[in-house]
Amino acid sequence: MRASIDSSVCAGHGLCYTYAPEVFADDPNGYGEVRHGGQVPDDQQDAARRGAANCPERAITLTDQSR
Amino acid sequence: MTTTDGVGEDLALNDLQIDVDRDGVWRRLLAHGDTTQIDGTVAALSQQAVEAIMKHAEVFSSEKAFDALGSPLPLVPIAFDPPEHARYRRILQPFFSPRSIRPMESTLRRHLIELIEPLIARGGCEFVSEVAEVFPVQTFITFFGLPHEDLPRFMAWKNAILGATDASGHPKPDADPTAAMELLGYIGELVLARRGVPGDDVLSQLLCLEGEDAITDIDAVGLCFLFVLAGLDTVAGSLGQGMERLALNPERRQELVDDPSLIENAVEELVRLDPPAPFVPRVTSCPAELAGKSYPADTTVLNYLAVANRDESLRPHPFEIDFHRGENPHASFGLGPHRCLGSHLARLEMKIVYEEWHKRIPQYRITPGTEHRVRWPQGTLGLEALHLTFGGG
Repeated sequence: MRASIDSSVCAGHGLCYTYAPEVFADDPNGYGEVRHGGQVPDDQQDAARRGAANCPERAITLTDQSR
Repeated sequence: MTTTDGVGEDLALNDLQIDVDRDGVWRRLLAHGDTTQIDGTVAALSQQAVEAIMKHAEVFSSEKAFDALGSPLPLVPIAFDPPEHARYRRILQPFFSPRSIRPMESTLRRHLIELIEPLIARGGCEFVSEVAEVFPVQTFITFFGLPHEDLPRFMAWKNAILGATDASGHPKPDADPTAAMELLGYIGELVLARRGVPGDDVLSQLLCLEGEDAITDIDAVGLCFLFVLAGLDTVAGSLGQGMERLALNPERRQELVDDPSLIENAVEELVRLDPPAPFVPRVTSCPAELAGKSYPADTTVLNYLAVANRDESLRPHPFEIDFHRGENPHASFGLGPHRCLGSHLARLEMKIVYEEWHKRIPQYRITPGTEHRVRWPQGTLGLEALHLTFGGG
């Protein structure tokens, strides 16, 4: 699974890195950024989904690479 | 559309019984669909409508919407639209980011513990005036490096200023501008005294910025004024209403006592149910479309966040308190470029209160025979009082 954040939409609510700190991190201004170059660790997929689903701006896209 | 209960009536915001039955009011408004007219103003009610407005600041202006709060100067940054707004946000955001506020946590926690420890032996308290209203002012004072003896003056000023406008942000007929002028005077002196003087607090750091990030005295005063208006009553309002819901729902309260790791979720859920600033105004800067209707430029639109947060398309049983929601995106801190600048600080304050309180006072109930009404009509919602008796009952 890969994660990306549309930085033109992110408003810095900070819920992604609160709910999925291994997938997302905060930049110095509080905006979200992806960790590990956007590669979601296998054991963090549920957390990634939760972080994405709680984004009030719907700025996060997850892509499943399992196929 | 078929007529359902509550639809088709003429609604006046100040007549709605938010003081005694806010859930009932939000439920009634939910039946009106995406938008309706309240007091002749467009009311955006659904999540979809609120998102369409708040994420499009170029069409739905914040700048035009904030002229009624008694401030004779622009409130930085909500009274600006992009692109000027972006400059202020870029300057301010680093001071309010999670990594900037984290070092304050232990100090804030100590203040809160000192506030609630003496209450335990008394066996009860009036939560609003003794905890909910005091803690955010202490936080503000810590954040800005102000003398703690000024706490009572701040409490009096912000109560007078916020009490002077009705729910739509319009001045009440008997509004007295004295408090706003006094607060502005205090802030003006503070800005002059801190200008160019290095210090750890946010205000000193802001006033030491140079080059293109330098902010003028007028902007600094507007900014501080907004912080007082936006940061004190909102957190107090959330805490009072949150504790009221917990006191009325002992099973949910017990969940937090048994498993404090739920408190992060509880903060989101309680602030979803009771956004303290649930009426967010915008004014169209050009002809605009909203939920299939057309509006001319200069149309005022009020976003009803507490209604949008109960949109059933986003979550099941939206009127229930549920600390186990996996998906709980809400609009209580706003959406889009004007997202609440202080949201991280507010969340931290609420988390600290729910954690430290439930460690020390796990059981409490509303004192029988006491009232717990929402102050109304007012733009920032909070309880007039919340009398709690500790212990099982």
